Amino acid sequence: MMKKHTWLKASWLMVTMLLGLIVFNTTTAHADTKEPHYVITTDTTFAPFEFQGQNGKYVGIDMDMLSAIAKKEHFTYKLVPIAFNSGAQGVLSGQFDAIIAGMTITPERQQVYDFGTPYYKTGIIAAVSPKSGITDLNQLRGKTVALKTGTGSAQYAVSIQKKYGFKVTYFNDSNTMYNAVALGNAAAAFEDDPVMKYAIKNGVKLKIITQPANGGEYGFAVKKGQNKELLAKFNAGYAAIKKDGTYDKIVAKYLGSNEAKFSGDAKENNSIIGLLKQNKNQFISGMIKTLQLTIFGIVFATIFGVLIGVLAVVPNKFAHGFSSTVIYIFRGLPLLVLAFFIYIGLPSLTGTKIPAIAAGLITLTLNEGAYIAAFVAGGLKHVDAGQMEAARSLGLPYWKAMRKVIMPQGIKLMIPSFVNQFIITLKDTSILSAIGIIELTQTGTVIISRNMQGFRVWFIVAMMYLIIITLLTFLAKWADKKFASK
Amino acid sequence: MVAKVSVTDLHKSYGDNEVLKGINLAVEANEVVVMIGPSGSGKSTFLRTLNKLEEPTTGSIAIDGIDLTAKDTNLNKVRENIGMVFQHFNLFPHLTVLENITLAPIELGKLSKAEAQELGLKLLDRVGLADKATAKPTQLSGGQKQRVAIARALAMQPSIMLFDEPTSALDPEMVGEVLKVMRDLAEDGMTMIVVTHEMGFAKQVADRVVFFADGYIREEGTPEQVFNNPQDPRAQDFLNKVLNV
Repeated sequence: MMKKHTWLKASWLMVTMLLGLIVFNTTTAHADTKEPHYVITTDTTFAPFEFQGQNGKYVGIDMDMLSAIAKKEHFTYKLVPIAFNSGAQGVLSGQFDAIIAGMTITPERQQVYDFGTPYYKTGIIAAVSPKSGITDLNQLRGKTVALKTGTGSAQYAVSIQKKYGFKVTYFNDSNTMYNAVALGNAAAAFEDDPVMKYAIKNGVKLKIITQPANGGEYGFAVKKGQNKELLAKFNAGYAAIKKDGTYDKIVAKYLGSNEAKFSGDAKENNSIIGLLKQNKNQFISGMIKTLQLTIFGIVFATIFGVLIGVLAVVPNKFAHGFSSTVIYIFRGLPLLVLAFFIYIGLPSLTGTKIPAIAAGLITLTLNEGAYIAAFVAGGLKHVDAGQMEAARSLGLPYWKAMRKVIMPQGIKLMIPSFVNQFIITLKDTSILSAIGIIELTQTGTVIISRNMQGFRVWFIVAMMYLIIITLLTFLAKWADKKFASK
Repeated sequence: MVAKVSVTDLHKSYGDNEVLKGINLAVEANEVVVMIGPSGSGKSTFLRTLNKLEEPTTGSIAIDGIDLTAKDTNLNKVRENIGMVFQHFNLFPHLTVLENITLAPIELGKLSKAEAQELGLKLLDRVGLADKATAKPTQLSGGQKQRVAIARALAMQPSIMLFDEPTSALDPEMVGEVLKVMRDLAEDGMTMIVVTHEMGFAKQVADRVVFFADGYIREEGTPEQVFNNPQDPRAQDFLNKVLNV
């Protein structure tokens, strides 16, 4: 009896272990402390308020301020850098306790967030490419303007859109937006005054054409009515660092220097080798995240897909219906929508936080699993019906016949599809950068936000994907041979 | 004495299409029953209901006194006792010849691996294929495949064997080797129910010939009775066509 169930037991053990690993990873951070612990989100690139410094650690005015306040007020936090718009929504859905991301206090936002003491005065400015010859907003008529999703600057730009007659397009991070303008894909960008000026100071080839408008202030935000204790701590801590001069020191530190001082030697940016050396740790950790997502994703998706695929061929109408519904839904949904739904949508319904990596793995499992289920069902249906009849007529029970006779033949038919799906899974992990997982693609985005080396960094990232795919393909071929010879 | 196989008023429909319209048949132990008739007459469907590869619509089937249509019958146990040979062999292509034969006895805990292999080799010898134990089914001719399929069915040591047109998919020169194995089996006293178009085999081996047409048994008797003196007009017509070519 033992032998029959070993494979089932083994796979079950594997699933529980992996799930345990994920849960364990996300909870150990605050297991050993009695201080209150919070999950706080920030933008991925919003220098000088938040950007990646050396070794991939986030630095900037917001970051240093938050860390000084946490020390003063005795709380700990886990920082989740994610696209601003997703972070802002994540706070509302309960995924994060608070956001500090150069977030302008507006009446609309005040309806859903509670803001702490305003900590930085700002205005909105527009910039164009110096080559464009544009000197004033009136010249934008009929042209496209680049905006960052969900920001106060975007809202302001839209409010004057009719007056100046421009079209708008949206980006998720400041840097891609600047590049769109610098490369001529958009005519102008609107951004907060200190952020845009800082970027230009650091080498972004843009020219400011307006005075700061629609002056506002940045605030630390929690969901309205929630996390009152955290907000009080922030305000008390902010007052303290303002009083003792820490705050002014932080601001002076960032506004007085180039990003390169925090992020590494700019000279290294001019060669691929230099970029690789300088960002070695980040590339490696991005690659490891991508590999983790891919491998765990493939394992879970295969288990899920085979189960759902087998349900499509068992002689039971309910199982058929269930299987085809699952395939229909999860194959039909775009991966990105599914990821957002699980990461941001579900927690706002259930009130339970899901770590990004778990949300990412669930997304991959469901989406890739649905594709696997479809070709598993197809492969099993392809096995001649006479095989099942012959096995059953010998007295083999249905599942034994399935496992010993149908599956081995079906799986052989499916191997090319499996290899294909594994490669697709690897590539699909890049989409998960949208929910803030710093995998290889997001690593590229973040590094470029610092050094503006678009071509070189994307070249490196592309090569790394190709290397992983090559390795995976070799592995698959080896497995295929082993299977085929059996 | 209880009949080995006892079928009472068996009906089978696919939607509105009734293919078995009330079949009654009793088969005694050690009896060889050959079923003949035109294509579409229901004889294969009938054979397949005997181990419930086809679910009967109404009626009852009893094998060794066990009612197959009863809900609490362990169908897998009953099937272990009924060997079946298919027109298209249905050997398992991913297994060797010997593994094809030993799979069921090992998986069902009937025999240890060593015992099953010993029996398998003995059966292969009996069907004249002792040298093919490690071959894959794709390396065999049609006739060899069908002999392996018979050995596979025999490995469960059944007391009844069902043959569903076992020679119809074979090249003519290979029919003889399969029929010889079947004849030997009959001589050893196996209870056999055979659907076939081989009239020679029916004449020589059958204890009883059953003629199917339009979902009914139209004629039934010894080979001499059925072949030499059929009473039913459909049987006369059919035999006239197949015997006088």
